[in-house]
Amino acid sequence: MTSAAIKLDQVTKTFDGRVMAVDAVTLDIAAGEFFSLLGPSGCGKTTSLRMIAGFEHPDSGRVHVGGKDITDLPVHRRDMGMVFQSYALFPHRTVAENVAFGLRMREVPRPEIERRVAAALAQVALTGFESRKPGQLSGGQQQRVALARALVVEPPVLLCDEPLGALDRKLRQQMQFELKELQKRLGVTLVFVTHDQEEALAMSDRIAVMNGGKVEQVGTPTEIYERPRTRFVADFIGEINILEGGGPLRALRPEKIRLVAPDGARLAGTVETANYLGGSTLLRVQPTTGPSMLVRETHAGERASRTPGDAVGLTWNDSDAVALES
Amino acid sequence: MSAAPNRRPFDAGRAAYLALNALLLAFLLLPIAIVLVFALNPTPYISFPPVGVSLRWFEKFFGSAEFMNALWLSLWVASVVLVLSIVIGAACALALARGNLPGRAVMTAFFMSPLMVPAILTGLALFQAYLLSGIGRPVWGLIAAHTLVAVPYVIRTTLAVLHNFDRRIEEAAAVLGASPTRVFFEVTLPLIRPGVFAGGVFAFIVSFDQFPVSLFLVVPKGETLPVVLFNYMKFDLDGAIAAASMVSILLALSVVLVLERLIGLKAYVKL
Repeated sequence: MTSAAIKLDQVTKTFDGRVMAVDAVTLDIAAGEFFSLLGPSGCGKTTSLRMIAGFEHPDSGRVHVGGKDITDLPVHRRDMGMVFQSYALFPHRTVAENVAFGLRMREVPRPEIERRVAAALAQVALTGFESRKPGQLSGGQQQRVALARALVVEPPVLLCDEPLGALDRKLRQQMQFELKELQKRLGVTLVFVTHDQEEALAMSDRIAVMNGGKVEQVGTPTEIYERPRTRFVADFIGEINILEGGGPLRALRPEKIRLVAPDGARLAGTVETANYLGGSTLLRVQPTTGPSMLVRETHAGERASRTPGDAVGLTWNDSDAVALES
Repeated sequence: MSAAPNRRPFDAGRAAYLALNALLLAFLLLPIAIVLVFALNPTPYISFPPVGVSLRWFEKFFGSAEFMNALWLSLWVASVVLVLSIVIGAACALALARGNLPGRAVMTAFFMSPLMVPAILTGLALFQAYLLSGIGRPVWGLIAAHTLVAVPYVIRTTLAVLHNFDRRIEEAAAVLGASPTRVFFEVTLPLIRPGVFAGGVFAFIVSFDQFPVSLFLVVPKGETLPVVLFNYMKFDLDGAIAAASMVSILLALSVVLVLERLIGLKAYVKL
């Protein structure tokens, strides 16, 4: 399967001439990359995706796919695959007809359509469901049909708009693995819109964190998590402690903090709350001065557990406290 | 040892709900039952209890050239009205729901207004307008008048479907390579069809049963069935009227059943 690079060049989109949905966004997405657009609702991630798909036309800026400027190309001639949160299956057509739709539009001969539909359904483990209607399938099955329908035309680009958002937690995790494996196997360029930071961290090769129509930071999951560039990124992804005083703000992840004896520690304080999370416990510690701190204690090996009221000392390496841009 | 099953506590609300339903059903069906009894009763007047079963009133109805001509005219007019009103109504509803038109609320109210105006006024107004403009009272004028009162039903049912329509489904089709025209015929039209045809059923029945509008716009020897029945009742009140009513009811019912068979009106309820 071929895959294509995507380039957004200074793309801007306003709605009603006032609301700045996407503000001069530039993104370079490599061919074959699993790229996530991550941010809270209204950050412009979905609008960005819809401009790649062609549902929205940018006010200014250009969209390139595979080296070609497609800004003015209508949706149906862009040759992309797309999966929606609501799945958007054709309710009046069977599973097989849904999957065959894109091939039919491309006037693929009927025997080849049948062969490719069967292969696509096998790929998402839905062989035997050909003649069902979407209404007779579970959410996870519908999601798979949507995926097969998008992938059967072998698009160089697959766009996913919160595709796992409607699934329950267990199923979502399973689909995360499946989607990632499928993407790697096919080598398709995948642009994935989500507001779920765990999902973005788990699946992406790279992530663009968006806020207020702008891209705050682009990087690998590790870079985004370990080296957040702005306070917004640090806050949005996982739990964070913001350290003030002298120079720029610094961000310190709760798991980088070690619990030690109060004497001689960087900070001494009292455990206020201890939230047991299974694999770890998240503690809220109130130092003698300053704001409270979040500390994650992982439960690998033997440790004395802390309970509210315990006096503890906190310490960390300077290199783990990341300086943030103001 | 298992515990004795709990007796379901008496639910007064549920009992009242069921009773109300039974009452409403009786209110709707009883008149039809009375008409049926009347139609099958051999006496030329309403008598209860019925004295026997006979088809003489049906024979009289089907044997009368006047009734038959009126029945065929009504059926023909209603069929044309059905086709016209689903085309016009569906197009209107799509424009209202999708067109991003300025003053959409006002326009919706305008298209719905034939439902608000008493039909007798619509009939009178059209009668005068036709006379003044020299059109007279041709059959197509009658069809146009029926279509005018029938279109709002199609608009209403189609708008209801469009209101719940997930436009992502159309977008999905577009991404897969369907041009706007193909999106319309492959996705939009099949999905709104149950709403359009549900409105079409109403349109057919509104036309077939139409009396106040028709009254002004039919010519002698070119009267629709409701007008002929009305004229007949002014002088005779026998079982032929009841027989005609039964035929009308069965015809309307068969239109509903045929459309249900063909396109599945049930889908409309599910949407």
